[in-house]
Amino acid sequence: MSPVDPRFHQALDGDIAREGVPPEVRRAMERLDAAAALLAVVPTGASVEARVMAEIRRPVPSRARRLVRWLATPHAIRLRVRPAWSLALAAVAALLTLLSEGDIEPELGGQEGIAQFVGRFPGARSVHVVGSFNDWRAGTIPLEDRDHDGVWRGAVVLPVGAYEYMFVVDGERWVPDHLADRSVDDDFGRENSIVIVRAAGR
Amino acid sequence: MRLGRALALLALPVAAAAQSLRDDRLAERLPAAAIPAVDSLVQQARAERLPTEPLVQKALEGGAKRVAAERIVVAVQRSLTQLRDARALLARAGDAPPATAAEVTGVSAALKRGVPAPVVEQVVAALPSQPRGSALHAVADLVTHGFQPDSSAALILEAARDGLRGERLLDVSTAALHEVQRGHTRAEALALVRARLPDVPAAPKPARASVVRARRPSEPPHEP
Repeated sequence: MSPVDPRFHQALDGDIAREGVPPEVRRAMERLDAAAALLAVVPTGASVEARVMAEIRRPVPSRARRLVRWLATPHAIRLRVRPAWSLALAAVAALLTLLSEGDIEPELGGQEGIAQFVGRFPGARSVHVVGSFNDWRAGTIPLEDRDHDGVWRGAVVLPVGAYEYMFVVDGERWVPDHLADRSVDDDFGRENSIVIVRAAGR
Repeated sequence: MRLGRALALLALPVAAAAQSLRDDRLAERLPAAAIPAVDSLVQQARAERLPTEPLVQKALEGGAKRVAAERIVVAVQRSLTQLRDARALLARAGDAPPATAAEVTGVSAALKRGVPAPVVEQVVAALPSQPRGSALHAVADLVTHGFQPDSSAALILEAARDGLRGERLLDVSTAALHEVQRGHTRAEALALVRARLPDVPAAPKPARASVVRARRPSEPPHEP
């Protein structure tokens, strides 16, 4: 069964003289002798213990290097989704987005400013501001009474300049702005208020 | 020459479109009886190269307030006269023609608010190289609150000499009005503000809540 020539074993065991074996067996025996000689040499380098200790004492990689290695290494993430919570979270995110959109300031041009209007009209159902900034057209600039205290407020983006205006209460009653700093005869027997819009970017 | 003619030809349709727009506004919003007279006054102003927008606005205001047609026409006629007076005043004060629409309108507004013509003329002549709208409004603010016109103009012109320009001149009149509210006489208020020039507090900026709420006027609703 063994592929090795039996004379090889006999020669190794000293049963037959090496000179008596065929040349091919003798060459194999010489190769074996050379390998045995190599194994017999005592290693001159560090001992196994020294090499193990050196491996243990190798400097620890820096935090940054470990981070880079961690980032570069693929990781498996397991995500478990609970549909009810996911939908609720999405609804809250959508609501927050909608609410925050109302807080966006209007973009103003260099020659635009903001006119603020305030009037006290307890019991009024609607208050609009009407003037030369909207061709005296009622219904385009409504004021609001958010906390229902009778004080109606509004703010309008307008080109810089001076404008005459009045309040229209409940769609029919024309009232001047009693808080306005300026007013002028309207040529129809009443007084218009005047607002001067300053550039917002000044 | 050819280029000028070509530009004039190109401008014709634009002018015609503007004209029809103007007519539309008047036609939609005025009592029918007032439209021909008002339109005629607007055409006169255009022919005289006076600003027409103040006339249209006065007519629209009358229409919105449901004033009788005759009173609307009278008011528009009065506005046209005021614009003519304003342009004449600008010429007297040394402004080289043509006066801009803004200058004519600004002077007209100051006269209407009760600033005497010689005082307006004085302000215009003293500020030859800058817009006078804010200066005239500042003087008018003081005059309408009982300050002497001459003293009011003197304060505003001194502020302009001290380097205050445009809307900052409105802060000067506001500062004087605040001194009166604090109990000073008008003469004392003028003296106090004059002594502090050019250091007058700037008008506060609108609160952020107002800025966030500010919207441009919406399109007008369709009228039945």
